[in-house]
Amino acid sequence: MKVEFTIPFAEGLHARPAAELVKICQKAKCDIEMTKEDITVNPKSILGILSIGAGKGDQISVELNGEDEEQIAAELQAFFG
Amino acid sequence: MTLINENLVVLGLEASSKEDVLTKMASIAAQQGKVNDVQGYTTAVLHRESEYSTAVGFGVAIPHGKTDAVTEPFLMFASVEPIDWAALDGGLVDLVFLIGVPEKEAGSTHLKILAALSRKLMKSDFRDGLRAVKTPQDLLQLLKESDIGL
Repeated sequence: MKVEFTIPFAEGLHARPAAELVKICQKAKCDIEMTKEDITVNPKSILGILSIGAGKGDQISVELNGEDEEQIAAELQAFFG
Repeated sequence: MTLINENLVVLGLEASSKEDVLTKMASIAAQQGKVNDVQGYTTAVLHRESEYSTAVGFGVAIPHGKTDAVTEPFLMFASVEPIDWAALDGGLVDLVFLIGVPEKEAGSTHLKILAALSRKLMKSDFRDGLRAVKTPQDLLQLLKESDIGL
């Protein structure tokens, strides 16, 4: 499944938000890919998350594929919400 | 804009702790005219560290602080003996990239530098290269050749 989010964090997706996002993604059993424009990364790695350089207001899409994808999508919704 | 030069590269920095590393790097940045308040900048960087470790895995940390103690954006590199950085993965850190950006530019410039570095740091060749350099010039050459986009 695919879900889309807008970055709500004033300083962008790094520091604490990045650390919290990696925590959610690392516990997921499903495969996850995160895309901003033409860059797609694995958000189970902190370097992956940092390397997309997402600032406040940027759109990112997340593709989840696996048994717990719905639960993880809901957690991401709460995280970015 | 040149973010980094050979005076902002320190190989084998001698330091006893993360705090010591950051204080020494901030002092060098101040000597190079990038920071006008060493104490203010060091405090901002350490405050940031206290909220969340900036260790990103693979023995690398990317500390930073947003404060107007920074006069112009800079990137600084230091290699150190492996040191505790309160990393989430529990690993020690031996490579440190310090980012300094004036507060008003913190959002965009900071993210751009962080993203460019992170993309390169995912590659083991690049990390091995950082550990193999013998001189500051070698480090600058490696950054240039890696087409890091800074």
